[in-house]
Amino acid sequence: MTEISYDFPQEAPRTNRLRRILRDYGHELLVALAILVLLLVVGAINPRFVSARNMTSVFSGNAYIAVAAIGMTMVIVTRQIDLSVGALIGVLATISGTIAVSGAPIWVAWAAPVVCGALINAVTGVLVAYAGIPSIVVSLGMMAILQGGLISVTGGAWISDLPPEFLLAKMTVLGFPMPLVWALVLTIAAAAWMKLAPFGRSLYLVGGNAEAARAVGIPVRRRIVQVFMIHGAFAGLATLLFATQLQVIQSTTPPNLELLIITASVIGGVSILGGTGTVIGSSLAAVLFAAIGSALIFVNVSAYWLRAFIGVLILLTVLADVIRRHREVAKGA
Amino acid sequence: MLKRHSHEVVLAGLTALAIVVLSLQSEQFLTLANLLNQGRLMTEVALVALVMTFVIASGGIDLSVGSIMGLSAILLGTFWQKMGIPLPLAMVLTLGVGTLCGLFNGFIIVRFGMPPLIATLGTLALYRGLAEGISQARSVRGWPEWFQQLGQGAWAGLPVQVWILLAALLISGAILGYTRWGRTVYAIGASETAARFAGLSVGRTKMTIYAVSGLASSLAGMIFVARVSTTRSDMGTGLELDVITAVVLGGTSIFGGKGTIVGTALGLILVQVLENGLLLAGVKGDGTIVLIGMVLIGTLLVSAFTENRARA
Amino acid sequence: MTIQPSGVPPAGTSALASGTALSVRGISKSFGPVQALREVRLDLRPGRVHALMGENGAGKSTLVKVLAGMHLPTSGQILAGGKEVRFDSPRDATAAGVAVVHQELLLFGDLTVAENIFSGHYIRTRIGTVNWAAMRTRARALLAELDCHDIDVERKVSSLSVALRQRVEIARALNQNAKVLILDEPTAALAESDADRLLEVILRLRGRGVAILYVSHRMNEIFRVSDEMTVLRDGEYVDTVESARTDEAELVSLMVGRSIEQVFPKVEATIGAPVLEAEGISSGPLVQGASLTVRAGEIVGLAGLVGSGRTELALTIFGITPATSGRIRIDGKEVKINSPRAARDAGVAYVPEDRGHQGLVKPMTIRENISMAVLDRLSPGGFLKSGSEVRIARVRFCPSWCARRRVSSKWWDSSREATSRKWSSPSGWRQTPSF
Repeated sequence: MTEISYDFPQEAPRTNRLRRILRDYGHELLVALAILVLLLVVGAINPRFVSARNMTSVFSGNAYIAVAAIGMTMVIVTRQIDLSVGALIGVLATISGTIAVSGAPIWVAWAAPVVCGALINAVTGVLVAYAGIPSIVVSLGMMAILQGGLISVTGGAWISDLPPEFLLAKMTVLGFPMPLVWALVLTIAAAAWMKLAPFGRSLYLVGGNAEAARAVGIPVRRRIVQVFMIHGAFAGLATLLFATQLQVIQSTTPPNLELLIITASVIGGVSILGGTGTVIGSSLAAVLFAAIGSALIFVNVSAYWLRAFIGVLILLTVLADVIRRHREVAKGA
Repeated sequence: MLKRHSHEVVLAGLTALAIVVLSLQSEQFLTLANLLNQGRLMTEVALVALVMTFVIASGGIDLSVGSIMGLSAILLGTFWQKMGIPLPLAMVLTLGVGTLCGLFNGFIIVRFGMPPLIATLGTLALYRGLAEGISQARSVRGWPEWFQQLGQGAWAGLPVQVWILLAALLISGAILGYTRWGRTVYAIGASETAARFAGLSVGRTKMTIYAVSGLASSLAGMIFVARVSTTRSDMGTGLELDVITAVVLGGTSIFGGKGTIVGTALGLILVQVLENGLLLAGVKGDGTIVLIGMVLIGTLLVSAFTENRARA
Repeated sequence: MTIQPSGVPPAGTSALASGTALSVRGISKSFGPVQALREVRLDLRPGRVHALMGENGAGKSTLVKVLAGMHLPTSGQILAGGKEVRFDSPRDATAAGVAVVHQELLLFGDLTVAENIFSGHYIRTRIGTVNWAAMRTRARALLAELDCHDIDVERKVSSLSVALRQRVEIARALNQNAKVLILDEPTAALAESDADRLLEVILRLRGRGVAILYVSHRMNEIFRVSDEMTVLRDGEYVDTVESARTDEAELVSLMVGRSIEQVFPKVEATIGAPVLEAEGISSGPLVQGASLTVRAGEIVGLAGLVGSGRTELALTIFGITPATSGRIRIDGKEVKINSPRAARDAGVAYVPEDRGHQGLVKPMTIRENISMAVLDRLSPGGFLKSGSEVRIARVRFCPSWCARRRVSSKWWDSSREATSRKWSSPSGWRQTPSF
């Protein structure tokens, strides 16, 4: 049913653009504001914090979290979760590094993690969507398989002697570090896709009310598999930024990396109850806690307190979400 | 009987099979000394897993257990060495703080209606951050002999912590399976609203469950310290995932309303048997993790299919 | 094909297919051993409102789900515009011009009104992206057609009242150019004035030639709005009658298979002393200074429109939303009821409106459900005495083989079970009125 008639009077939009942005992106603006305040306050205490050099190193070192959080945000929007992404990034890094040192063309080494990420996550997606096992459990099992599998295959050995042209994270575009450019471009592209493409919108439908989504003709199960695959591809892209920062690739990833990525999504405003949130928020949140981590050092607070700050941040964000929902429901009654 | 406990029966069969196969692979495996040692090693995970069965059966989840374990280890050292509090009192204080951590989880979940997954993800970071911040990467050593007995000694032929574990197993099994309170836990997990309408005290029960979960994690942290004679702020990292694996493997539904202590015990034993047996049989530890992941997904696949068939 | 004269022909004759928008022929549906529908037939004609009637469990909802493409019938055929169609999914039903407004509204609470109306059928720009501006404009126009001018299409649906949410669902159906609109108990949750407005909307849609299937319990509405009605009983087709040529009594006897006097026989009861006395109790905005007295042997009906506070008063007496002021006396003794637990201990039992959700713990066995309200008595010292638990279930309500079944077993009538749970309460038969 594609033909739509437009024979009714065109009315002026009732809500002006500014108010619409405030309402649709209120949470994102709040996170951005928090970043701004942090930069200003800590910059005033210690100007070296806001130096171009520090900013660049902080943000490009953490850009991979923002990229991985894009995919995670999509997964959470459809009311699923993936605990295996940290282990997946480890596996993809090794795959990519192995190809890079094997002498194959560099583009193969770059494409492989993206493709493999999508394929590996397709398994997770199928088990979730078609076998009906909750995603938290499937991804827990996948995490064990990937983590254990990686170390038993590599024996814990590092990959060194990476060809310099493989090291994407060290390259620059017009003077900007590559990871920063990627995080920015991917965030904008993904945000536009989730706002403007019917496919992107359908993720919100699936997460908001799966039964209703089925009733309006969305193939819910297939969509869940697809979103896991897209998430895997983003994990692959994140891997490229993560694994090419140094000359070597280790067969371990930072502990609790998956929780850090999920945290970025949650602080960015994705509701774990599904159906809301944007990737702009999650990327801003990744920036926020990269900035907090660095700021602690510059104001002479031990970086060991970083996690406590993040914990409080998560709780406050979720509390705000819960209160907002209560208020909306109260308003509707 | 067979029909209602099919998951436990399958699991018991699987465990027995694993024990038989592994004992053929290595002579050291099926020896009393080895088995007792395995009991010692699994106590910390097991204590937390027993309580996690209640948490998950009530429809919740607690990701912060590993962090509470780490925080307890650090606090115990801080209370005792830095603040000079006598060790027995420091132990009581630590258990108290652990319980409070759990109670705080329960409070934000019950009072504000936060989804447990996210609430405890937040406190996972918070408690671990507190442990890291308080310890500043310094560890505490030089524990008195009597304290180390808790993690290294034996009593009447069994490791001390195995006695604690057995007691916890009996108590939790009796509570979940045979008491009013256990029934309340299932009812909340299956339908919180209906449980409330039936006059069960939902909020108080949930708070208690999370508080006990904190207490168990704290106790596990102390046993861990006694076993390895040192404290580190990263103790218990990833514990939550081991624990959830064992509980879910044991047949507890992640959606709540279903699960038994026997199942969790079998899940714990199967994981431990695989880890130890395969190691002795010459398989590297990481290969075992892969197998555990596969067993986890495999058993759930089987029960998903059998349940579908039963429903059709 | 022969053109039939208008009027109400006997349903189910194949020659009539030409005049119908949607025909159902000998549809059966079973869930395992449970036969939910048996050889049901139905004809929906353009510009006519067809009411579907039947008691709870008669199979109305199942039939609606079959027509919505959510259940595949076990046998029988569906004809849309005279051609046989097969609804494997809701998408097929939509494509055939059938739109359904479900009882539990299938909406997306976190999304805007406009997006809900176009969900799954977004208006696109030339390059294929979602055209938000066009959707907003068209959404306003669609809602205006439904006599709903004052709604901000950019509001989240979760912030709307039930009546407005329903309007959004109907707008979604209209947007899909529905030839057949199925409304499943649309007024069940509406206040009187909202229900009136809805009926006007339905009549207006009828005027535009939409075939409407209207499922409802409310007699006055049915007679006001419908042109013909089909009655189901226990999953079977009973009869199709013209609304103008029947009355309530006939309809009830068709629905239950007996006459109205037989359904509710008058039983003599001696009225005794007051058992429940509520005096000036208040809680929240809806319950303000309410008083009532229920005597032993008495059935007290609590009447009022939706939103007048009937359920809320019951919830207050049962302690779900404890009273902020006023007094409650049981057997003349004042009691303080601040939780369902306290109410239960005082001897009050409550059969909730939404039994599937509030009344039953579905994955648990019938035995466990029955004993839930009396767990305290069954567990001296905290330990359950499973022997007494079995005895209660078996002696009072059902044989032991059935007590072991899960409540979710389809054949077990939820309401019977929730009721029996209350009967096992300490003081027996006292109940707050159930609605």
